[in-house]
Amino acid sequence: MATNAVAVPVQEQLTEIWETPPGVLGRLSSVDHKLIGKRYLVTAFAFLIAGGIEAAMMRMQLARPGQTLVTPEQYNQLFTMHGVSMIFLYALPVLSGFSNYLWPLMLGARDMAYPRVNALSYWVFVLAGLFIYSSFLVGQAPDGGWFAYTPLTSHDYSPGLNIDFYALGLIFLGISTTVGAINFIATLAKLRAPGMSINRLPIFVWGTITVSVSIVFAIPALTVDLIFLYFDRAFGLHFFDPGAGGQPLLWQHLFWIFGHPWVYIIVLPAMGMVSDILPVFCRRPLVGYTYVALATVSTGIIGFGVWVHHMFATGLPLRSMSFFAGASLVIAIPSGVAVFAWLATIFYGRPWFKTPFLFMAGFVFLFVVGGVSGVMTAAIPFDWQLTDSYFVVAHLHYVLIGINVFPVIGALYFWFPKITGRMMSEQLGKWSFWVMFVGFNLGFFPMHVLGLLGMPRRIYTYQADFGWGPLNLLVTIGALVFATGILLVLINVIVSYVGGAPAGDNPWDAPTLEWSTTSPPPVYNFAAIPTIRSRHPLWEDRLGETGRSEIYGGPLLLDGRETLATSPLDARARAVLRMPTDSYWPVTLAVSLTVFFYGALLQWWWLAAAAGVATAFCCAAWLWPSEDARQLPPGAVTNAETDLPVGQTGQTSVGGWGMSLLVLNEATFFAYLLFSYFYLSSLAQHAWPPEGPPALKLVLPNTLVLIASSVTAWWASRGIEADNRNRLRIGLISSIVLGAVFLTIQGFEFTSKDFRPNASAYSSSFFTITGFHAAHVLIGLLMLAVILIRAFRGHFRSSNHLAVTNAVLYWHFVDVVWLAVLFSLYIAPRFG
Amino acid sequence: MITRRTRIAALAVTILAACRRASFVLSSSGEPGRDEAGLGRLFTIVGMVVVIIVAALLLTAIFRRRPPADPNAIDRRGRGTLWILTGGVVVPAVILVTLFFFVLITLSTTAQPPYSNVAGTFEIVGHRWWWEIRRVDDTGRPQFVTANELHIPVGRTVRLHLSSADVIHSFWVPDLAGKTDLIPGQINTAWIEAEKPGVYAVHCAEYCGMQHANMSMSVVAESDAEFQQWLASQTADAKPPQTDDEQRGLDAFVGSPCASCHQIRGTPAAAIVGPDLTHLAARRMIGAGALPNTVGNLSGWISNSQTIKPGNVMPAMYLKPTDLHAIVEYLGGLK
Repeated sequence: MATNAVAVPVQEQLTEIWETPPGVLGRLSSVDHKLIGKRYLVTAFAFLIAGGIEAAMMRMQLARPGQTLVTPEQYNQLFTMHGVSMIFLYALPVLSGFSNYLWPLMLGARDMAYPRVNALSYWVFVLAGLFIYSSFLVGQAPDGGWFAYTPLTSHDYSPGLNIDFYALGLIFLGISTTVGAINFIATLAKLRAPGMSINRLPIFVWGTITVSVSIVFAIPALTVDLIFLYFDRAFGLHFFDPGAGGQPLLWQHLFWIFGHPWVYIIVLPAMGMVSDILPVFCRRPLVGYTYVALATVSTGIIGFGVWVHHMFATGLPLRSMSFFAGASLVIAIPSGVAVFAWLATIFYGRPWFKTPFLFMAGFVFLFVVGGVSGVMTAAIPFDWQLTDSYFVVAHLHYVLIGINVFPVIGALYFWFPKITGRMMSEQLGKWSFWVMFVGFNLGFFPMHVLGLLGMPRRIYTYQADFGWGPLNLLVTIGALVFATGILLVLINVIVSYVGGAPAGDNPWDAPTLEWSTTSPPPVYNFAAIPTIRSRHPLWEDRLGETGRSEIYGGPLLLDGRETLATSPLDARARAVLRMPTDSYWPVTLAVSLTVFFYGALLQWWWLAAAAGVATAFCCAAWLWPSEDARQLPPGAVTNAETDLPVGQTGQTSVGGWGMSLLVLNEATFFAYLLFSYFYLSSLAQHAWPPEGPPALKLVLPNTLVLIASSVTAWWASRGIEADNRNRLRIGLISSIVLGAVFLTIQGFEFTSKDFRPNASAYSSSFFTITGFHAAHVLIGLLMLAVILIRAFRGHFRSSNHLAVTNAVLYWHFVDVVWLAVLFSLYIAPRFG
Repeated sequence: MITRRTRIAALAVTILAACRRASFVLSSSGEPGRDEAGLGRLFTIVGMVVVIIVAALLLTAIFRRRPPADPNAIDRRGRGTLWILTGGVVVPAVILVTLFFFVLITLSTTAQPPYSNVAGTFEIVGHRWWWEIRRVDDTGRPQFVTANELHIPVGRTVRLHLSSADVIHSFWVPDLAGKTDLIPGQINTAWIEAEKPGVYAVHCAEYCGMQHANMSMSVVAESDAEFQQWLASQTADAKPPQTDDEQRGLDAFVGSPCASCHQIRGTPAAAIVGPDLTHLAARRMIGAGALPNTVGNLSGWISNSQTIKPGNVMPAMYLKPTDLHAIVEYLGGLK
């Protein structure tokens, strides 16, 4: 009905422009966010099932005291992989799947900001997941817990490949998570339909944007931690080795600096889903939209200040523990705001008892139980009893199943019609809810009691004497009932996919933009880019809104893959963006990264090196502009339909956002490296550095070299802004030469040391930090080299030099990081 | 109907009976557990009230009577802001500030041991997967070393210095005190005090590898006189062999791989890789809580502990039956 507003030939033309090439090969190259979103969902659910099977095996083992269904080794692998699967391979990816599928549809765009990065993000996710799971093939699955505390995970106590699979697999997965998050941020900032100002975003979008920003700052903590772990294991370094100045607790600090924000990362988008879906089934807008949006953002921020509540039993000073306990209590307030917004929405609405409503209402109850038990763990003296007991197992499952799985299954019932064009069975749906809800509470509530009865976590068996048998049997029964509920959902998905009733465009009479398209949506999402005038575009008449969104009329953008770029806050149309076409580079890049990580796993350095070169080549080939983009005429191009410029340049462009976010992410990485250095030095028992402050005679002149290279790079980019291509070339050449000189002198600096990286925690930190800096200089040099080649080919003009701006920005970043490194490693010890 | 109710009641009794011996952290038998439990009960009650109130609000919100309306209507009736500000901000803030006050008060009474009525210090060193226990005097000088069973006098405070020889462990006596981690490279302090005599289970609460599940020990709370006696007997060297059998047992022990890991003070066996066995027979359990200390269990453990506690550091022993018998006989006399 609706899309008839745009003529059929135009629709056909758009389909031709946006369609993915047919066949398996064609699909490997696809960058369609809907296809990628569906892949994410299917893959995440596959990992959910794998994690569920692991859980079922554990519950059979624990059903009665002293059972021997699995060996302790197997049990430890099962509980570790259960945690890794659920936390890393299911919980966030399933939300990324929904976000990938829904964001452009909700925001009124034709794709994500970086469609190819989106494809890369998926391929890396699935390959990293398979990398970790391939450990089962050699019988050496990770067995150190998902939290992998050192020194248990050090080479001395875990000599197998188990922990290497864990460390490298999660570093690998972090790439997917990070580029995915950057993509969401840039999409939100630049690709919303005109008028989709930030006060009109669905709360689900608020949730995903909050966690995307959190990811940019949180993942580097985990990456640094995992790199230390891998270096300790593979090269005998000493970050966590108390015998050589390392600190086991450094692992825990970095892990939970990442880990607690991560908990909010995997629930906030799900809470956003509730805030968007619940109102549809209460036949009214959400109560307190602004409060809920603010609560979402503030939870993400406060989430960075509570990590120590995972470490109350490690002997930290009381004063700092009290601070973190306070913060852990404060974070309950935004949750309270959300709960009462949902309650008021139901109270003042008229509930419509469809399956999604059941899941959302059931969620509210589970959320409160999980929240309350969370507050209990913030009470430090009581937490000494609760931590590492089954009480915490109960708490975290109320949080993760209650706040992630229940909304996600509800969201599946809600959006399945949009994704497939078919309704899911209501009857089976209600059954699945009640079986899941009853089974979950039956299985997981008694775990609270088991914890209070003194049952520790992560035990593969227990003695009948302790009295935990009957409740464990109940837990096992409940867990199996819950699993049956999940099975009903899967059956419903399959049955409905094959033979569900046709859904129509908007079966739930929902207010948001994704419901204005057909079900499933056309490959181009919107025949015409809509203009938005309210928070509920499809309810405007009935809510008596003053403005009316134009949903079925607007620019068609038919010159290739195009969408509109808008301003970040109020979403005014700024430009027409040329979107990338399908490409094999993302999947090729992901495969070469996989080879790299297998090389590192097996310590076949030649393989890792070859894959590293292949990866660099893939990046360069990916970024090499298409014939199309190079043939843009000099000077500004204007889109006739909208009178807007085509393409963007400068720091506020889509590409500029990506590079700035990458730089921010990398700067955070170095901040965690330096944090670790200062942490170790503050707890050092002996002189730090052992040989006295490192000499300055090489590094001070070298610093000047690097600063000079930044100046020439700046001079080069100013040159191309004035269309002076000679200045660009000369400036770039100077920067590259100066950068190479810097690296050479650094090489002398390294060899001048009379200690090796594996001498002590100090030498480990020194070489790791300066080594990573040198690696970044090398990456920056490669970027500048590619830009230089392109400059000689005449790719850049004053109207088209985004790549130059980005490469130069990265180069400046590398230089600024050096100043921080110089201050921390060379200057600070002189004043310590 | 009645039969079903009876059956449910019977089931409840069974469950409670089975739980009889379990610890319960909300009702502690000593310090600092008692204060922790008090705070815990406060949080539990407040938490349950919050859950019940929100559940009631949720059910009311869902099922309250509503006037019939056009199913297609969408409107914005109701002032939800008041709900959010009272239920979501003001009430939680008041509750949380109050609770935090109690957290700080309880911290001040639980974190540091009392200074009076202290019955000395023990060092506890975590090993995979057993507990080394060292008595130190006031100057920190070691008095004796034992393993997996700690005695304390009722009503007096015992200080604990916790560290680890390998990976991170955590010391947890649910009946007496919450957890304190044993971390290599640092020494954490804790304290316990029992109010009445009894045997209290200790569990390792930090995942420490393959046999984390079987890393328990006992805290035996007894009268001060019994405690002094225990100290004296533990300080003494092992009792010399009394019979030919025991002598053969000692010789077999010293001549076998046993002596390359274990110490029996007063004999040539002086290795400290595994638990000290000087007074093994006085302990209630073997294998860090794996089995009761009986002749049968001990011979089973010595011949192949891997079947009992797979992956533990002690390898299977291939001893002649006569040697095994003699060793068990000798160890069984080491009160």
